[in-house]
Parts: sequence; C-alpha cells; structure tokens
Amino acid sequence: MLILQLLASGIQTGVLYGLTAAGFALIFGATRVFHVAHGATFVLAGYAFVLGAQAGLPWPVSCLLALVVAIGFGLFMDAFVYRPIQRHEGAFFTVFVAAFGASLVVQNLIQFCVGRGSVSVSTPLTRASEILSGLYIAPVFWVAIGVSVALFALVTMFLDRTDAGVALRGLSENPELLRAFGLSSRRLSALAFGIGSAMTVPGAILTAATSGIEPAAGAHVVLISLAAAVVGGIGSLRGAALAGLLLGITENLIIAVLDTQWSEAAGFLVLFAFILFRPSGLFGQAVRR
Amino acid sequence: MPGSLLSVRGLSKEFGGVKAIQSVDMDLVEGVVTALVGPNGAGKTTLFNLICGHISPDAGEVQLAGRPIRGERPHTIARLGIARSFQDLRLFGRMSVRDNVLSALEPTAWLWQPGGRRAARARLHKTEAALERTGLSALAGARAVDLSYAETKFLSLARILVTEARIWLLDEPASGLDPVSRARFVALLKEAVAAGVTVCLIEHNLDIVTELADRIAFLDRGRKLAEGEPAAILRDPELIAIYFGEPRR
Amino acid sequence: MTAYLLNLATLATIFGILAASLNVLIGYAGIFSVAHAVFFGVGAYAGAQVALNLVPDVLLASLAGGLLSGLLSLCLALPALRVRGEYFVAASLGLQMLVVTVFSEAHSLTGGHGGLVGIPPASLLGIDVSSPWHFLAVCVGALALSLVWIAILMRGGFGRGLMAIRDSESAAEALGKNVPALKTIAVAIGCSLAGVAGTLFAFQLAFINVESFTLEQSVLLMAMVIIGGAGTLLGPLVGTLLLLLLPAALSFIPFIPATEIGTVQQLVYGLAMTLLMIFRPAGLAAPSTGRR
Repeated sequence: MLILQLLASGIQTGVLYGLTAAGFALIFGATRVFHVAHGATFVLAGYAFVLGAQAGLPWPVSCLLALVVAIGFGLFMDAFVYRPIQRHEGAFFTVFVAAFGASLVVQNLIQFCVGRGSVSVSTPLTRASEILSGLYIAPVFWVAIGVSVALFALVTMFLDRTDAGVALRGLSENPELLRAFGLSSRRLSALAFGIGSAMTVPGAILTAATSGIEPAAGAHVVLISLAAAVVGGIGSLRGAALAGLLLGITENLIIAVLDTQWSEAAGFLVLFAFILFRPSGLFGQAVRR
Repeated sequence: MPGSLLSVRGLSKEFGGVKAIQSVDMDLVEGVVTALVGPNGAGKTTLFNLICGHISPDAGEVQLAGRPIRGERPHTIARLGIARSFQDLRLFGRMSVRDNVLSALEPTAWLWQPGGRRAARARLHKTEAALERTGLSALAGARAVDLSYAETKFLSLARILVTEARIWLLDEPASGLDPVSRARFVALLKEAVAAGVTVCLIEHNLDIVTELADRIAFLDRGRKLAEGEPAAILRDPELIAIYFGEPRR
Repeated sequence: MTAYLLNLATLATIFGILAASLNVLIGYAGIFSVAHAVFFGVGAYAGAQVALNLVPDVLLASLAGGLLSGLLSLCLALPALRVRGEYFVAASLGLQMLVVTVFSEAHSLTGGHGGLVGIPPASLLGIDVSSPWHFLAVCVGALALSLVWIAILMRGGFGRGLMAIRDSESAAEALGKNVPALKTIAVAIGCSLAGVAGTLFAFQLAFINVESFTLEQSVLLMAMVIIGGAGTLLGPLVGTLLLLLLPAALSFIPFIPATEIGTVQQLVYGLAMTLLMIFRPAGLAAPSTGRR
C-alpha cells in the first residue's frame, strides 16, 4: 500500500509540477527567454494567497490576488528586465544572470519582510480519508488534478484555436508569421509571460494549502520546471507537462527504495542523462542549438 | 575532370523531408574561379556547409585532390586547405582585429603553439601583412564589433587570406559593399587567384560574377541546373527567369 | 580585529583564485557553468583527505585536489561538447544538484552533513605555514601564480582559440580550431584551479562540509565573475572583493539587525546582478564599449 500512497502523492505533486513546467515551456518556446525567475513567480503567488487569507479575505479573492500578483510579476520581468537586455546584447547568459538576480531579490525580500520559515493556510481540503485500506486521499488530490487538467486543456485550446495562440506558437520559429496576423511581438511576448505566469498559480496555492510555502521554494520549482522543459523537449508544452508529472511521480516513488535525499537528485540524474543522450527531449525537434 | 582540385559527386542532404541538396556534382578546377548562382533557398550555403563538414551529407562523395574528405570534422577539413567565409561573417566580435587574423594561424589546441618564439614572430608578421593587404592595419587594435560594415567584410577576407588555404569558399563576400570597396575587393581576389588560389563564391551581384568568374554553376531548389561559361549561362533565358523569380510555367 | 581581517583577506584570496578559474570557463571559453562549486568541493575534500591521512603539506594536497578536480571536470566537458546555451546551463545545474547529494551522502569520503573536521595545520615542504600571516602569504602566492598562468595562456594562441570559440564556434572550426580539444582543456584548467582553491579553503577553515559547495555558492561565484567583468583578467578579483566585503560592510550599518545581514547581502547582490545585466552587461572592469 505504501507504493500506492506514494503514487498518489506523486501524481498530486506531478500534475502541479507539470502545469508549472508547461508555463515555463510556453514562455521559453515563444520568447526564447530562459525565465529562471519563474520560481519567484510561484513563490510570490503563494505568499499573496497566504497573506490574503490571513488578512481575512475570502478564498476566491485570495486566489484572484495570487493570480494578479503572478501575472503582474511576469509582465514586470518581461517589460523591465528581459526587454531592455534583449535590446542591446541579448546574449542568453545575460538574461539568465539577470533573472537569477531577480529571483534572489524576491526570495530575500520575502525573507526580510515575512520571515524565512514556511507559511501555510489550513483548509478542510487537506483532511485525508481512507479510500482503500492504507490509502489516504485528501480532497486536495482531486482539486489538484481537476484544476491542472482543466487549465492545461484551456491553455492548449487557446494555443490551437485562436489567432493569438497560433501566433504565439510560431513566434520563435517564424517572426514573419506575426505580420500576417497583425500582431506585435511585444504584445505576444507579454501574452506568453502572462499566461505562463498564471500557470504557476494553482501549484502555488495548493502548495501553500498543503505543505506550506517558504521563500526558498522558488529554486526547487524552477529547477523542476527547467528539468521538465528539457526532458519534455524545450518548447513543447505537452512534453513539459508530461515530464513534470513523471518527475513528480519519480520523486515520490523513489522514497520507497532510497532515502528521501536522493529523490531530488534522481530527477537531476534524468535531466543530465537526457541532455547528454537525447537533447531534443521526449517530444522536441530542436537539437543542438 | 582534369585538374579538379575539389570534386563533389552525388552530394545529397535532406532536412526534415525538404531536399536541400539533391545529387549535386561539382568540380573546382585549380586556379579557376567558380561562381555559385541561384535564387534564395537554392542550397548554395548548404553546399558549402556540406563540403566543409559543418553538416554531414546523406549521400555522395567529396574529394580534395583525390582524397575523400567526407565525414571529416570541420577543423580537419580546414587544415587540409579549404577556407570558407560566412554570409553573416561570424567574426570574433570581442577580439581585436589583429587577434581575429592571428587566431587563424594557430591550429593546435595545446597550450603552446609549436615552433617557439621564431614561429610566433613569423605568424605575427604574416598577420600584419594580411592586414596591410586588406587595408586594416590602422585598425589592428580595434575590436571586431566596433568596425564599420565594409571593414568587417575585409576582416573576414583577411582571416582567410592569412591561412594560405588552396581553396576559398566565399559566401556573398561582396554583398552590400560600396563601389570603391567593391573594386578593392575584386582586385584583392584577382591577386589571390593569380597567386594560385582556387575560389568558389556565392554571389548575387551578376556584375561581380561576370567580372570574376570563369565558370558558373547554377543551383535551384537543391539541384544543379547548369554549369558552364558565364556568358552561356547568363544568356539562358530559362535560368534568368528562375534567377529573377519570374513565374514558372 | 587583526585575526578577523587576516581571515577575511585569506578568504578573499582563495575566492579570487576561484573566480579567476571560473572566468576561464565563462569569460574566455564561453562555457556558462553553474557547477563550479562542485569542483571547489572536490578539491577541498581531496585536499582534506590528503592532509588527514597522508601529510598536511599544502603543495601535495593542492596537487591532489587540483588533479582530482581536473579529472572529474570531464563530467562538465562532456555536456559542453554536446550542447550549448540553455541546454548546457541546465546540464551543469543538474550536475551541481546531483553532486551536492553525493557530497552529503558519501559519508566515508566527505563526512556527510557533518563534514570533515580537524584538518591539520598546513605545512609547506616541511615548513610550518599554519599561522594566519604565513597562510595568507601562501594563498597570495597561489593567487599570483594562478593569475600569471591564466594571463600567459590567454594572451597566447590557446586563449585566442578559446575566445574565438566563445565568439563564434562555427567560424573557429572553419579556421581549423579543434573545438572539442580546446573546450576540454579549458574546462580541465578552470576546474583544477578551483580544486586548488578548495584545498586552500579546507586548510584555512580546518573544517569543511557540503554547505560551502552548494548551488548558492556556484551562483555567488558566477556573480563575482559577471559583476567584476567576465573575460578580463582583473574583473573577477574586483567582483570577489566587492561581494566578500559587502557582508563585512553591511555589518557596520546600524539599522540592519545582525540576523538579517545574510538576507540583505543576498538582496543586494541579486539586485546588483539584475541591474548590471540591464545597464552594464560586460561588468564593472570591462572597458566601456567604444562603438563608432
């Protein structure tokens, strides 16, 4: 039963990883920005939700607050950090360092203002009940799956069905396509950052509601997103989501065999192996840029 | 073909279903200037990439003076005496003009180049001579990114000049040059050819082609449609129609 | 106070070596490693083991640390040869995370989270150099040697080869540069120097554990190189001084509570990294661009 229990928590973690990673992949695919501050978005959204709830706001309002904060931060990074850098040098490492710096600022600002410990919100959603003998499932499990699948479906539908979505997908490969749709790359990149950042929100809220969220959580989130995006094939949303799910499950299942310390390392071993032997990822085409 | 220094036979390459190069045969004859002509997307640069080993072909052979070089790494091919330029130049932007050229003379990956001080002085000497010929001496200390457009073109040429390669593959070396610089470029190239260099150049400007080329190979959609004397090729109405993108029946 | 300053000066020299060694990768070869703390750590553990089990000789221990780091640098060279850009950063991140786990789990070699304690005082060819002044002199000597070594290499054909690859890999290949060999050697040089710095660090602290070799450390090192100016000889030293003196300086500002100094320090260098990348991406020590 232990395996089943671990599988369940793996799926719960995994769907949220998958959604967050898909957001990262969307941003990277459309704008070629390696958005390392994606983890900071996640943490900010989580804190917005917790602080909102602690201030006595009803939960839908807190969720909305988290959404606004996440999107706002994503747009801010796009407009005030990435865009000015891309204007002159555009070297990817410059972008990477700037994003890393911004994540440090966010993490330490929260540490300074709120404290370095983890914060959480208690909800009835986390009360587990025994479904099978020895298998405990809390309602949050279903919420996580439901919200993630719904949001992911919504985003893919948007990308497949609308002009802006199609343009977004074509943005990195074919800038001329944009002119055909009469859209500016500036607006599209803002759109990518908005949607991508919004996709961190469910993960952030549910993490805050279950295990709690801490200022340093962003690093882990971004590492997972990055690993999932690479393993899934950079730029591929489905690949990233699937790889995120698999990473979440692996991370939990491996506890049955090895010490917990190795669970994170296992994910990075997979990442390292993929880059060495299959850099195009599970679903990607672009090898050796 | 007699006197063929570089021979290409049945070279083919596909990119995800698109046939970029389809069984192309080509010979570069010693001392002869060949121009590769064709509309955009004809596969001219791809052909260079295949010859130089930047891309590996799906089929076909490349021989340098009878020695098969297909499948060799780009740096090995370069050391065998094939130098190439890039359409987007790819200068070493943050290095000085002098270092850009000097670097082309230092092939070993070891910590020290062979030959000691004397060889180093000789390399420096050659570098200065190449800069002199391309008119860049006064700019030797400037960074490559700080050069003007024409200067970058000449630096790209200086890097090749200094290698003393027997074959030069030049990818649009004169595009965008003003008339004065263009004349200087043509003179430089003629000098090199007179000194025994075999040149193959991709060029859109037909004036330069007629001025420089002894032969023209016409490429379209990955196929070589024709090869021959410039006058004959440039008189062929069908090729001209393709080249200028007129609607094909 | 003198003891404090001496310790700070010694650490600054050690981190100077580290930043200079990372600069070989980032600044000259264009290999953007975020796993440099790994090789710092390998050198520290190897040097400490030599000191604990064989002889506490700085030279011998440094040699061991440098060699082992240089050998293991193949783990970094391999992805550097296969992938570029973001993919390589991701690979080096993966390596960093993986090795930290190995560091904290391989108890017999690294002492796990408890670390290696009681590293004996240093000697150099039989002479005791463990006093703060002496050891500072040893470290300054090592830094000077490293800088001279790097300067000689980077001024010569080898350095030009690396910079050519950094600026355009395909053009370097087309001019006859053996890119895989150059990259592998550059990574080995950078990482073995980091190993030497690690050994010196182990002697200076007499105690090491995994905390010093984490991703945060790698990022700090990266910040030193970038803020100072990647691809310049002295830039990394400028960066090192700035980032090491920062916490010291902050502790003199009265209104910051002592417990928050670490936080404020990270806040400041995060901000510095972001703002510099926006306004001065070449770093502080780099000549300003004289575009015509």
